[in-house]
Amino acid sequence: MSKPAPAELTTLSIAQAGNLLTRGEITSTALTEAFLARIDAVDHKIASYITVTADRARIAAKQADMELSQGLNRGPLHGIPIALKDIYETEGVLTTGHSHLRADYVPAVDAETVRRLKAGGAVILGKLATHEFANGAMTPDQPFPAARNPWNTDYQPGGSSSGSGAAVAAALCMGAMGSDTGGSIRNPAGFCGTAGIKPTYGLVSRCGIFPLSFSFDTAGPLAWTVEDNALMLDVLAGHDPNDQASAEATKVDYGAATQRSIKGMRIALARTWYEGNLTADMAKGMDEAVRVLREQGAVVEEVVFPDIWDYHICGRVVITVEAHAIHRQEVIETPEKFGYTTRRRFQLGAFLTAEQYLSALRFRRKLQVDTRAAMRGYDLVVAPNQWGQPEKFEEPQAIFHFFGKASLSMPFNVTGQPAMTVCCGFGSDGFPLAFQLAGRPFDEASVFAAGAAYERATPWRLRRPTL
Amino acid sequence: MTEDKAPPTIEEFRVRAALTGLPLTAEDIEHLHKGYVGLLKLMERIPSHWAWAAEPPHVFRADE
Repeated sequence: MSKPAPAELTTLSIAQAGNLLTRGEITSTALTEAFLARIDAVDHKIASYITVTADRARIAAKQADMELSQGLNRGPLHGIPIALKDIYETEGVLTTGHSHLRADYVPAVDAETVRRLKAGGAVILGKLATHEFANGAMTPDQPFPAARNPWNTDYQPGGSSSGSGAAVAAALCMGAMGSDTGGSIRNPAGFCGTAGIKPTYGLVSRCGIFPLSFSFDTAGPLAWTVEDNALMLDVLAGHDPNDQASAEATKVDYGAATQRSIKGMRIALARTWYEGNLTADMAKGMDEAVRVLREQGAVVEEVVFPDIWDYHICGRVVITVEAHAIHRQEVIETPEKFGYTTRRRFQLGAFLTAEQYLSALRFRRKLQVDTRAAMRGYDLVVAPNQWGQPEKFEEPQAIFHFFGKASLSMPFNVTGQPAMTVCCGFGSDGFPLAFQLAGRPFDEASVFAAGAAYERATPWRLRRPTL
Repeated sequence: MTEDKAPPTIEEFRVRAALTGLPLTAEDIEHLHKGYVGLLKLMERIPSHWAWAAEPPHVFRADE
């Protein structure tokens, strides 16, 4: 590609920017300044940032440029502007969890993922809005404004990684870190039209990230393209002895995986999860996604998985109990400092018994085994990412989100499999549509291969929200 | 949990709430009662009897 004008820098993909940086055609400083200027100009419309670390970003960009000029390239994120959900601890930088309870908290040490990003040469632009402590509900009674959806600011961006989805879609960073306990990466990725991956449980360290549910929490990226997510995961994945759940998985080149052909790949379509319940736009988007995957050479067949409500309730019980255990002391000592909805969600776990919790854990094992059996002979699962459009900004959020519809993202939190959100067009209301691709545990490579093949065959990455 | 047990009434739930150690307002208890009863209903999907082999791992592994 030709050298981009300054205004075009913020819509480059990470892969494109990396190539231009390596060739010396742009600098990290120019890239960083372009993002800082855009944040300054438009973020007041969507409130995706809680803290912008402009001075630190400029120093990191200068360092990245100096290293590149001396022939040192730290990898695919060298000089790339990234932002972090505000539950990632950052040395010397406010880390609030979007809560009154941590409104003044400045950690002394970076989260392991932040350390890896910095070691990989990434430039950290700042900290992003989230639902309070990643609990999955947007409420107005928090110390910072809630993020809005850049496609239509009268709507929510989804969550809990709300600022991450909004900032990536609005070109206010090239990639963002989110977390996914019951869908908190995939939900905003879908509603904001970005790609985002919940990695296999255990692939990416959670050390230094505010927890919500020990046995479900995962950390992962959101970025505009599938390939950019792969490049971020190349830097993020790896064993961390300080995270009890961290796995010792074989190192994989995810960036290279995005170039793989999917001819002959076998994909199981989980139609029973959603048949008859999607909006007309989403149903059409799903059918089209399946058609495109088949066109690329994949074999897509309908497979019956366990009932979606089984995954939903299993996940909700475990998360409710573990979130209570994590926040119990503050729920007792300073309940008034929690948001109206968050407090009730964190209190509810006190009413569940140990036997109920253990039954849910046993149920999880059964669902994991049954899902694996259903997937036998298939490389991936394909399913919708969302039922329809996002919620309106002003509409009060339900206190308990296990009522209403089952979560389409929860199955892969329960099984621990990697699951990626891929944009598959736009509805008649202008909102992005999205589907999920889930792989076998630690087979993120196949997920990236199929997601990238789909993106190359469709025009959806060319459309951005206007702010 | 497949148990033939009626969900707690709001009065029964208040008694139980007093044992949790949480400082709860009347409004909290009303919301929590509604949430608990709803969760209990959904939990009917979870079997209550398990073979010993269903023992969950102490640390979850996605590839076990």
